[in-house]
Amino acid sequence: MSRHARPQRILLLTGVYLLAVILGVGSAWLWLTRVGISGVDAGAWRVNLLAGSQDADAYTRARIALGAVLALGRSETLYYTTDHDDLGDSLRAECRYRIEGLPPPARWWSVTAYAADHFLFPNDQKRYSVNGETVTLDDAGRFSATIGPPADESRGDPAWIPTAGRGGMRLTLRLYGASESVQRAPGSLAVPSIRRVGECP
Amino acid sequence: MNPKPLNWTRHLLRVSVVVVLMHGLTIWAVPRLIMDRIIDLGTADSSLERANGVTLPPPTDHTQRRIVMPSPDLLYATCFFDLADGPIRVTLSTDYPRYWSIALYASTSDNFFVVNDRSAPEGRVDLTILPSSHDAATSKVQHHGTQVVISPTRRGMLLMRLLVNEDPAVRVSAEAARRSIRCSRDARRSAAV
Repeated sequence: MSRHARPQRILLLTGVYLLAVILGVGSAWLWLTRVGISGVDAGAWRVNLLAGSQDADAYTRARIALGAVLALGRSETLYYTTDHDDLGDSLRAECRYRIEGLPPPARWWSVTAYAADHFLFPNDQKRYSVNGETVTLDDAGRFSATIGPPADESRGDPAWIPTAGRGGMRLTLRLYGASESVQRAPGSLAVPSIRRVGECP
Repeated sequence: MNPKPLNWTRHLLRVSVVVVLMHGLTIWAVPRLIMDRIIDLGTADSSLERANGVTLPPPTDHTQRRIVMPSPDLLYATCFFDLADGPIRVTLSTDYPRYWSIALYASTSDNFFVVNDRSAPEGRVDLTILPSSHDAATSKVQHHGTQVVISPTRRGMLLMRLLVNEDPAVRVSAEAARRSIRCSRDARRSAAV
């Protein structure tokens, strides 16, 4: 009995410490991939003020590296992101959404659609974003754009971002050279609304 | 002889320490591993066009799957540097009329420097990137005439962004602008060391 006790004990302790390593790495990975990034909310959007910054804490730095590596600091660019619409429902690539709002007060802005893997949706028209140059403003000075699977009316429409496949989707609103008031209070931005149009297939 | 019974309290304490350490190590390592991979792949990729020490990736589309969340409205140029062999000199002279910026990233993924078309209104950039081991005051004298930038890490990368659209004239102008950037070992390194 005693001759086997020591190897069994070593095996048991090895297993326990291996489990501790898995638990440590796994909990970090879950935190990075499942817990939403911290930041300031504006409507359905969230902006992280420490993206790209040397002042970022370790968790923010790791999350940014995973989801938006090589981001610029807030004085250069503000990145508002969301994975849900105004009602809080998850954005889906197979659904159609209407984005509407006032052009953000920035030198240049864009809204880009990304698949759940954070890469661009494939489409033969190579249309992945809308921006101040591609949208037209209505009489009230508001723009509108559509994001969703391609349809007959989408071909040739510069304000339509075609999606592909099924699954999650993420939108990023980039503000290059945002006005000083927005840089000071990014949560005060009148962000574009995100509304689902029709039923999802 | 029976072995001594296990001291589970002591082991529980040790296990907790291991969990916390591995958690922290993972959080610390993720950005560094990602940046290392970006730098290694970018340095080794022979399929990308290069000029003047700068890599010129093709216009961004859905086939770009190396760096997450690429902006399809920007044309990029990159330079990967290692300061182990001396300072890096970056120069640019452009009259590109739209937004452009040059950002420097440490191997921790931090953006430690940025210059754009408004902060360099004449379209001229002349930087010398030095490792943090250099004395900043002395380096400024030794690299007189250039803007000295201290990199917090030995390895890093430069990323130039140029705002483009579908207008062919804009594309041609942006292409010329990114080809005017130079990123190379500083010829005056002997004076700097």
